[in-house]
Amino acid sequence: MKLAAPTAGRVTYEQLRWMSVCLVLALAVHTASLPLWLLATIAAAIAIRLALSARGYAVPSRAIRSGVAVISIAILFLTLHTFNGVAAGSSLLSLVAGLKLFETQTRRDLYVVALIVYFLSLAALLTSESFWLLAYLLVVSWLTTATLLRLTRSSQSSGWRRSARYAGRISAQALPLALVLWLFFPRFDAPLWRVPSDSRSAETGLSDSMSPGDITDLALSDEVAFRVHFEGATPPAAELYWRGPVLHDFDGRTWRRSVAFRGAAPDFAAVGPAYRYVVSLEPNQHNWIFALDWPDQWNLSDAYLTSDDMLVRPALLSHPIDVSISSHTRVQSTQPLGEFVRRRDTRLPVQRNPRTQQLALELRRTHPDDLGYVNAVLDLFRRQPFFYTLEPPPLGLDSIDEFLFDTRRGFCGHYASAFAALVRAAGIPARVVTGYHGGTYNRFADYWIVSQSDAHAWDEVWIEGQGWMRFDPTSAIAPGRVEPNVDRSLAGSARLSGAWRQPLSWLSDARLQFDALRQLWRERILGFDQRTQEQLLSRLGIPDPDGEKIAMVMGAALALVFIWLTWQIRREQRPDPKDPVLRAYGKLCRKLAAVGLPRRPSEGAESFAARVALERPDLGPRVGALLRRYSRLRYGASRRSRTERWFIARVRSFKPRGILPAAKGSRWE
Amino acid sequence: MRSLRDKAIARIRLWYARRHGVDDLPVKIERRRIYIVPSRFGLMLTALLIAMLIAGLNYSSNLGLAFAFFMTSTVLVAMHHCHRNLLGLTVDVKLEVDALAGTDAIFFFMLRNESAVDRCDVEVRLGSASDSPRSLVEATHSVAIGCYEEVMLAVPVIDRGVRRFSQFELRTTYPFGWFRAWTYVQAPLTAFVAPSPGGNRPLPAVTAATGESARSESRGEEDFAGLRSYTPGIPLKHMAWKTLARGGEASVRVYSDLGARPEWLEWSSLDGLDTEARLSQLSRWILECETGHQRPYGLRIPGVDIPPGRGPAHRWRCLRALACHGMPPA
Repeated sequence: MKLAAPTAGRVTYEQLRWMSVCLVLALAVHTASLPLWLLATIAAAIAIRLALSARGYAVPSRAIRSGVAVISIAILFLTLHTFNGVAAGSSLLSLVAGLKLFETQTRRDLYVVALIVYFLSLAALLTSESFWLLAYLLVVSWLTTATLLRLTRSSQSSGWRRSARYAGRISAQALPLALVLWLFFPRFDAPLWRVPSDSRSAETGLSDSMSPGDITDLALSDEVAFRVHFEGATPPAAELYWRGPVLHDFDGRTWRRSVAFRGAAPDFAAVGPAYRYVVSLEPNQHNWIFALDWPDQWNLSDAYLTSDDMLVRPALLSHPIDVSISSHTRVQSTQPLGEFVRRRDTRLPVQRNPRTQQLALELRRTHPDDLGYVNAVLDLFRRQPFFYTLEPPPLGLDSIDEFLFDTRRGFCGHYASAFAALVRAAGIPARVVTGYHGGTYNRFADYWIVSQSDAHAWDEVWIEGQGWMRFDPTSAIAPGRVEPNVDRSLAGSARLSGAWRQPLSWLSDARLQFDALRQLWRERILGFDQRTQEQLLSRLGIPDPDGEKIAMVMGAALALVFIWLTWQIRREQRPDPKDPVLRAYGKLCRKLAAVGLPRRPSEGAESFAARVALERPDLGPRVGALLRRYSRLRYGASRRSRTERWFIARVRSFKPRGILPAAKGSRWE
Repeated sequence: MRSLRDKAIARIRLWYARRHGVDDLPVKIERRRIYIVPSRFGLMLTALLIAMLIAGLNYSSNLGLAFAFFMTSTVLVAMHHCHRNLLGLTVDVKLEVDALAGTDAIFFFMLRNESAVDRCDVEVRLGSASDSPRSLVEATHSVAIGCYEEVMLAVPVIDRGVRRFSQFELRTTYPFGWFRAWTYVQAPLTAFVAPSPGGNRPLPAVTAATGESARSESRGEEDFAGLRSYTPGIPLKHMAWKTLARGGEASVRVYSDLGARPEWLEWSSLDGLDTEARLSQLSRWILECETGHQRPYGLRIPGVDIPPGRGPAHRWRCLRALACHGMPPA
């Protein structure tokens, strides 16, 4: 028995420590986007507050606190210039959380910190697509909720594990409800309003220019560029050329994109079959959509073809998207080459690479036909001792001359560059195309993984009467001339590139299976939208799904989940039916009910005993003794098995008689 | 603003009192009498959840939405758990208590948990329907599985009289402080507040009594008048040990003078004082009689005549008469 303690609401060191742990865990996922000084400030705030609390000191004075707050927020604003957007917003929130913890005195302050922890978790997920991050942050929110439980009075006498368990049970019970909400909550295609998108730094991937040596870095990167699922026929692996930026301007060393105009209607006619596929693009810092050769249909309303047949969209690809495309690997131009394009794609720097120009003139003399000339150039690469290596010797200003006549070692960039230069020197329009070639087929889930190590460069040459034709000079290098450190066959067959090609096949299989899971996650979870919702409904057997029907299904599912929840909570609450004392008590109540003395639902054992004594004085003492014993067994401090057995045996032998009509009764008495 | 809110709360409580009538004690808290609303923290959290939802939709981030919905669901499940924390709890209370003015009237509540889950941080709050909610007193307790817990609620009482409460409240914000669930129990709780002892007049028969009691001890068993069953509070020297040794019930010897010369504490003997001063003086005399003398005492005030007696029960009977003096009946 205790009298009420005064409700102080002051936080203890233990509570402060746990909330600090939660905050640090939530901040951990933001460390990459937070300035270093900010992290240091927050860490210092938390450390100082904890140290003060551990020694029982009060928080610093209000003047110090507000001074620190104003100065740090001002510095943050001066460095960021804005508090808008996810990165800036999370910086501000992180700082406010640290400052709030710094000045925490009462439980209410910790409530605010908890809210910030929840929101920081959400902010990290807005721009992420990782399953592990979601799982991690669900754990963080569970810990935060458990910490809130530590703030209650009753849990101060119980252990941390108990709080964690109870919070965990509540979180687990929340999962079905969350699933229903997530599945059926209406989604919108367009954002409610535009938000500044944070440009991401340090992305690997193709750039819009190409110098010798550029693609080597990529060749060593295992990062996935995109994944492709073919619907129907798959082209031969050697034909998988995923077109990226098309380069026109050459200064003797570097190839660059020229201004890309939005093309008119596609200026080619299909020759070969059409391939239909879905490209799942990872975000890149450009607006390029990597399509197979010559795309003519796609399901992205704002995407368009440039005048050099590259598929782009107006906005940067800051989020993963799926595009369904139809392409041809062989086409024929329907329009003649414009004069401007012809001049641009035959231009070479006059002063540079004199030996190359000389070679071109000689070759041209023997091959006046354009196609014959191009094949002669390919033949040159095939027959002369050119080697494929990822570690080519450095090249000077006349890079093509040095490569063709001196070093003769290089990789796709060198060959594409030299080939285009040679073709242009003969007055034939040529351009360099960068992109990806091939990919890794994932047989576990029927799709292709195209990673950065599949980056490639090749050429397109304008052949009169045919249009732009693809030539890949790198594939002309004989397999025997590939240096041993290069882990790929260049014959153009399907390659397992980079790390996907493990010496141990089971390891490679495991990687592929894991990637299949990732792709499933991406398709089913990240790409979930209204269209998928409607598909889900039609799979549930609901015809013509629309927004209204989705809402109705959500209502029904929510009702079911709430019924389940109520049942679950009631079941937890019900006493263990196997408890022998309870069972005996139930038996006693049934026996008494049989003689016209039912226990009222609201009646406890003692008040029931009192009523029995009043209504049936003959049974009163015996029933009273039993019920009192029950009460002591059930609510008393300890239970003794002997008393339990006594109670159960007495209940069994208890045989109350009903009040019978007088005639019969007289015979019994 | 404050007073407006208080008025609204008082009105709700009155409405509740009319709706439910008086409860039979002990009361088992049923589903339909539990009310639940978000707390201030819960409202802040709701605003946060809405912000989360909007952010998730705006960035069309399915993971963000998943997290927002997980938090929303956690809150909704926590609401059920908060509600459950009161549901099925059995509560009983001692309806009438006595106290002296200037001290605390202590109400005893009994919370019994027959279920298989702990009931944590259940707050018992007391205040009458007409009272301002600010004058509430409260005590928080947890009741473990299959246990009962006695809660003492100390209501400070200043003025003599009868303090009535028409209801009390059980309230909880467990587990996370996001919701507040509460229920009202309609029970006529009464605190009889006796006047605080005061005045400086001596006991009316104080001189005679000391003389006589000194004599009575020397007289031994001369005036032995018979046996009476023992009640706590009677000095052990009057115990009939022989009877007890023979296996009889615990008895005390009664002497003729103990029964014969009781102290009469009379309203009429306190001329010249106003009502409250007289009551204070009588209160003091009762306490003095109980602690200082072994003589029975009776109380005579207008409308009440309590025959002489002794012991805590008798004392509180007299004090309660003083508390009720001039008070309207319930």
